[in-house]
Amino acid sequence: MTSTDLQQRDDGELIEAILDAARRGDVATMAREAAEVSEMTRNWATHIPWDDLAALDASGADGELARVVADLTEMWEPAHLRNPVDPDEEYALDKNAYDFYRPAGRDLLARTEDFYGWVQARRRTETWQYSRVLEAAPDSIAEITNDLGKRTRGINFNSQDYLSFNTHPAIREAAVRAMRDYGPHSAGSPMVLGNTRISDELEAALGELTGLEHVTLFSTGWSAGFGAIVGLVRQSDHVVIDRLAHSCLQQGARAATRNVVRYEHLNVEAVRQHLVDIRSHDTRNGILVVTDGLFSVDADWPDLVTLQRVCREHDATLLVDVAHDLGAMGPGGTGVLGMQGLLGEVDIVMGAFSKSFCSNGGFVASRSPALKQYVKMFSGSHFFSNALSPVQTAVVREAARIIRSPEGDELRARLFTAIHALRDELTGRGLTCMGEPSPIVPLLIGNEKLARTANRLLFDRGVLAFMVEFPVTPTGSSRFRLQVQAGHRPEEAREAARIIEGAIADSRAYLSSAFGSAAR
Amino acid sequence: MYDAIVVGGRCAGAATALLLARQGHRVLVVDRSSFPSDVISTHFLWPHGMSYLNRWGLLDQVTAVTPTHTVVDIVNDGIPLSGSVPVSLLREHFRDLHGDDSGVVQSYASVRRRVLDQILVEAAAKAGAEVRTHSTVRELIISDGRVVGVRGRASDGGEFEERARIVVGADGRNSFVARTLGLPRFDERPRCTFAYWSYWSGFDPGRGQIHRRGRLGCAVVPTNFGQNMVLVWGPSEWSREFRADVPGNVQRALDFVSPELGELVRTRGTREERIYGTLDQSGFLRQLHGPGWVLVGDAESAKDQCTAIGMTHAFRDAELASAALHRWLAGESSLDEAMAAYEGRRRSQNSAAYYDYVCTLSEMRPYRHDELQLFVALRGNQEETDRFIATHADIAPVSEFFQASNLFLLNDAAKESSAGYPVFEDFAATSRMYQQNLFA
Repeated sequence: MTSTDLQQRDDGELIEAILDAARRGDVATMAREAAEVSEMTRNWATHIPWDDLAALDASGADGELARVVADLTEMWEPAHLRNPVDPDEEYALDKNAYDFYRPAGRDLLARTEDFYGWVQARRRTETWQYSRVLEAAPDSIAEITNDLGKRTRGINFNSQDYLSFNTHPAIREAAVRAMRDYGPHSAGSPMVLGNTRISDELEAALGELTGLEHVTLFSTGWSAGFGAIVGLVRQSDHVVIDRLAHSCLQQGARAATRNVVRYEHLNVEAVRQHLVDIRSHDTRNGILVVTDGLFSVDADWPDLVTLQRVCREHDATLLVDVAHDLGAMGPGGTGVLGMQGLLGEVDIVMGAFSKSFCSNGGFVASRSPALKQYVKMFSGSHFFSNALSPVQTAVVREAARIIRSPEGDELRARLFTAIHALRDELTGRGLTCMGEPSPIVPLLIGNEKLARTANRLLFDRGVLAFMVEFPVTPTGSSRFRLQVQAGHRPEEAREAARIIEGAIADSRAYLSSAFGSAAR
Repeated sequence: MYDAIVVGGRCAGAATALLLARQGHRVLVVDRSSFPSDVISTHFLWPHGMSYLNRWGLLDQVTAVTPTHTVVDIVNDGIPLSGSVPVSLLREHFRDLHGDDSGVVQSYASVRRRVLDQILVEAAAKAGAEVRTHSTVRELIISDGRVVGVRGRASDGGEFEERARIVVGADGRNSFVARTLGLPRFDERPRCTFAYWSYWSGFDPGRGQIHRRGRLGCAVVPTNFGQNMVLVWGPSEWSREFRADVPGNVQRALDFVSPELGELVRTRGTREERIYGTLDQSGFLRQLHGPGWVLVGDAESAKDQCTAIGMTHAFRDAELASAALHRWLAGESSLDEAMAAYEGRRRSQNSAAYYDYVCTLSEMRPYRHDELQLFVALRGNQEETDRFIATHADIAPVSEFFQASNLFLLNDAAKESSAGYPVFEDFAATSRMYQQNLFA
């Protein structure tokens, strides 16, 4: 390089000079200045006729001069620097909950304000999908109000009641009877005097459903998962957990030990590798391998037969969370375990009642009476929580009875007819349903902005769907989690699918987004 | 009649032409420049970019004249991280995207375009593609709504007209092909960075360094001719004030973001060229293909320079598009099927997530308290630091690093606390100071 090169003006200065000459219609000066513009910029801005500026019509009659000026201006002083934006909508759509996970400052009260500001922006722009309330029982159609007080009625894929038990006469009758016999309150920890005779019957029924006769009840599904892990695992033990396992299991693992390995979703070979690694340096401590049965975000399930075998080969213990599949699928409602011929074969099974059993609550089951007593004593969430209420216990017991009866088969058949109708219509419209046919139909969207705006439209168009985003799913892979009920008529499901497709198309147009929802 | 006419003969175009010609197809490449020549570019190749060159047998030619490194330093508000992209993640990336993981290398490099583009265009010619440089396409020939060829001005000033089964637009963010077809920009992200850079001799930074502080960034990377590229960037809202004194503000930005680097450049560096700059970097996507045409590289989706991914993505497009076009040209699939396969990869969930990642980063907001704490938590956790770097470079999916359970685990495994880093001392005041335009 010569020193003349160094003294050359930079391109910004030259473009300013060109624009200045253009305003005077001085095309000769424009061309002279352009000759000094760097090769870099000339080869980049190929839409500017750098070599032909002198040939422009200086009168501007043909519009060419104005076009060149507009292109140069856009390069050097883009319009967006002058355009105002709606700051609320921008803020609402741009951020994720994780952005607020680690607030700064020593005032624990004051530092929640930033997050609240974001919540308010999302509320104002009607993109906050949380905290909606029901106006009546959540049937296949529901009437709800969002947290701005705006009411809507729509086809309901927003409730988890896979077998439509919430309106089932026998279930309601069971609740009424328990209310009459025991009253609304359990009045104690299950370790003290919180359980009734119905609790024993329920434990026995769940034992038969899972093939694991020693069952412990918990007052929520979350506390069953969390409690099972912190009850069993100690600091020097290891947890090997599917990356997408339910939150209660992830948090239980973190609370129990620092030795947590997250493995690639469903990858049993990866589990084997991790177990070999751990056993190569630690032969003394326990390893708990943790997975869901039916995964609630991706609607798929692992090869549990191989997983259980791999665990036994390396002296590891398997825990499977069947919250979403038990009762709603598999032969006789036995879920993924029954589908894989594993009834009574898995080390530890935990589940929740809130999807197919029409109540709060959860359980931990195994074939070991010792494990049962240990978990009861050392899972804080069992010992130190009030027991399930008699009404809840009676409802779940009745649900378990129906699930195992011929009526249960009939309900599951209706459920799967609706599931297939929904999936087929969505897929036929070019949308991506993840996973396998199951009561959860995850409709992949990806971009959070697209999902939030589509969700806003759906609310007004009569489909109730829960949009899941971080922290439920990883960033950039938001989706609608559609939860189907036995009470959904196939035509309702198809109608909902049509509305959903329209809302996504309109949102994409609104955001002018070119991204589709292909899986990779 | 050609099988394909490729408009634009740089990273995306020459590579697409090279790969098609090697499959035995008749290819014409037209570029308005002559080679070797430069073009505005941060001219950085991440390890997957280098891996593509290796897969095509061109890496040795590049590394013979270009320094390469594997470890990169990333310093955010004084919190240093060093790492390299793991081979396992690179292999996974290539298997996912191209179904084969051969030729993976871990190194990165800063290659001047006058060096790299020349190698690519020569390789395309050697593979049998006809290369016409200093030739400008001025018209698309459209028949029955379908692009069937191009007309333009040849290097000798005469007119030329050529026809082909497909026209590939590889002509950059200001693509003539896209503008002529009137393709709108989708998902446009106007907020981007301004960037200024030049080439300095006289010191050796050892390897690539990327620094961030407040709303500004700077980087130094050894490049060709014994020089270092030194680059500064910031939010485009500050560009007008920056432009008032470009050389002074380049130094001011360096001194602010990394006083050590600022000192090195000021006391030991000799600037060898003028300072270059751009703020024409808004992110956008265009429709990928249509009757008789397909876009690759910046023409189909341009992004801000802040992750220096453009050339690597151009190579990725070249491999994806040429593989799809080959299946069609060889009669193995319909054009629609081939293009759907290309589109499936290019408009996937992972691509969308990375696009969001770059566009968010390019707004150059100061790092938040929690983001800085995440960098502290990564210290001493080499595996996750490497995954972070791979994620930043679009090798590992954004969704796998930025997943709640992973971030919570990172927190739990943290070996250091924020205590040793001054940025945390009066964070609120520091944040306010960062919002002030340094050049006003």
